[in-house]
Amino acid sequence: MTRPISALRGAGEARLQFALYAAVCLAIFLVPLAVGDDFLLNRYARYLVLGMVAMALSLSWGYAGILNLGQALSFGLGSYCMAMALKLGTVPVHTGSDGLPDFMVWNNVETLPWFWVPFHSTAFAILAGIAVPVLVACVLGWFIFRGRVTGVFVAIITLATLVVANLLIIDRQPYTGGFNGITDLAQLSLFGFTFDAYSKSTYYLVAACLTVSLFACLALTRSKAGLILQAIRDDERRVRFFGYDVAAYKMLALAVSAAVAGLAGMLYTVVMEFASPTFLDVSLSLSIVIWCAVGGRQSLLGAMLGAILIAGMQGALSESEAFLDTWMLVMGAIFVTVVLVLPNGLAGLVSAGAHRLAAMLASRDPRRGETVHLGKPAEDRP
Amino acid sequence: MSAHLQLSDIRVSFNGFLAVNGLNLSISKGELRCLIGPNGAGKTTALDLICGKTRADSGSVRYAGRELSHMEEHLIARAGVGRKFQVPSVFRQLSVRDNLEVAMCRHTGVFATLLRPARGRGGEGLETLAEFVGLADALEEPAANLSHGQTQWLEIALLLAQDSELILLDEPTAGMTQQETVKTADICNRLKGKHTIVVVEHDMGFVREIGDVISVMHQGQLLAEGTVREVSQHEKVREVYLGSMGIGGA
Ligand SMILES: Nc1ncnc2c1ncn2[C@@H]1O[C@H](COP(=O)(O)OP(=O)(O)OP(=O)(O)O)[C@@H](O)[C@H]1O
Ligand SMILES: [Mg+2]
Repeated sequence: MTRPISALRGAGEARLQFALYAAVCLAIFLVPLAVGDDFLLNRYARYLVLGMVAMALSLSWGYAGILNLGQALSFGLGSYCMAMALKLGTVPVHTGSDGLPDFMVWNNVETLPWFWVPFHSTAFAILAGIAVPVLVACVLGWFIFRGRVTGVFVAIITLATLVVANLLIIDRQPYTGGFNGITDLAQLSLFGFTFDAYSKSTYYLVAACLTVSLFACLALTRSKAGLILQAIRDDERRVRFFGYDVAAYKMLALAVSAAVAGLAGMLYTVVMEFASPTFLDVSLSLSIVIWCAVGGRQSLLGAMLGAILIAGMQGALSESEAFLDTWMLVMGAIFVTVVLVLPNGLAGLVSAGAHRLAAMLASRDPRRGETVHLGKPAEDRP
Repeated sequence: MSAHLQLSDIRVSFNGFLAVNGLNLSISKGELRCLIGPNGAGKTTALDLICGKTRADSGSVRYAGRELSHMEEHLIARAGVGRKFQVPSVFRQLSVRDNLEVAMCRHTGVFATLLRPARGRGGEGLETLAEFVGLADALEEPAANLSHGQTQWLEIALLLAQDSELILLDEPTAGMTQQETVKTADICNRLKGKHTIVVVEHDMGFVREIGDVISVMHQGQLLAEGTVREVSQHEKVREVYLGSMGIGGA
């Protein structure tokens, strides 16, 4: 476990990584062939969305060393943007004046607030669902990173921002639906195609977005900018003396992470058919961190699978009779165990195992006359 | 000839302790300047002031016609200042190759690096460089696994990869074998002329090998300046520094 995953960057290793990522995405696309139950598919789509947001955190936390405890903020903002558009897409049932969302009517709002108006356009909503989180991340990042705030203080500031945003949304009930969130939504319809939350179409939509963002993030980590982010994680002061603007790079990581989380939030609204303040509450935000840590924060795929796995287990455990009261305890135990035993999460375990295997195969190979030191991958030697 | 690098009347205090107290230093283009002095004389702090790691309380640092004392570190680096630290500082989690890739910093902008692969086209130059410092076999090894000596060499390689106009070396030969010290001296002599170099060093043998002009610091000030010969015969220098090290005029 002394070898960090990021240190393995041979050309062959890059190809292997690409193949692994592609295989997992393919498997995700094949799931509906085996699962006919739309109810289950909806639940799986939900896990995929959570996988996406954990993957986004891996980019900022695992690669750039920015522990963003407010990851759910981007997620929630995305989900509200989508919910606003879908709310305006409903045929008004309870409305007095034309097209006013029902909860506004109940709260004696008479005209649609100005910031709701553009959400009549789905295209605008989708753009906003990404742009708003990115903008918030950039502003937040500007203050944090230009001010050279590091370490635990970054975690505190991001967490505090999340709490403030959450309280604001709950407090402004006439405009946000308050505690209840925004419910009774229309189905998302794009290019004349309607996405029913309980159908293969929504599952595929989520799977496609997940695949695209996973590979986009992979490309980022494989770029020189991605390498510089890892250098920043290691020793940000040293990076400055090579002429790189550390604050700008950290803002990039935070912004891309926010964009992916915002997209995930939008999909979450489509899958769940509502938006609620719980989408940006502290417990979800901390869960994202746990998923990411268990899966392996220095691996995009690891973080993603960690989230899918644990969220899936959470779902199963919290429903089964035996664990009804204790599933939180079980999850906590898993988290503590993984963090103590596997600093690089499950992904670290897998990669260490692969190296062992490679080393063992190499030592059996008669053409190589040298002994193999376990734990050192074979490809390291010339 | 006007100075390429000019420190004028610099003062820095740490919690009231004057680490640098009215330092003046002037170095011309292409020169290799050695900076010596007893422990705590303020040599490292002087380099910190040039590269922006420490801010001066007063005084100015001018380099190639620009005032550096208020510039951010990365802008100073972009202006052509490279630095090797006294405590070797490399990216321990990254492989030797990736360390060198980071150091090849011709393009520093976010969007420029976003569109470039992590493993640049400078691959060949990179391998030559690794060969040169004896790390060719360790290219894929994380820097954390290197020995102290190898780490020193990696940092020197980083500096060569960065290819700055002004190079600041803080005790480059600390912990090196005799042979390695000779090699480092050789590198310094080769860089001389093309680059302007400031070397902080305690090893007088090394200084004699490379130094044209030597500046001696003591208690945050410049004590003497001159050739090896002149400096080693300087009364005060012998008293505060050379004498105490027992290698006087030897
Ligand atoms: N960040 C700091 N905070 C407080 N004091 C400092 C700091 N940096 C340096 N000093 C003090 O300033 C003085 C000069 O330190 P500096 O590191 O520049 O000396 P030096 O000439 O490089 O010595 P050496 O030969 O031991 O490396 C020392 O007394 C040191 O204790
Ligand atoms: Mg020093």
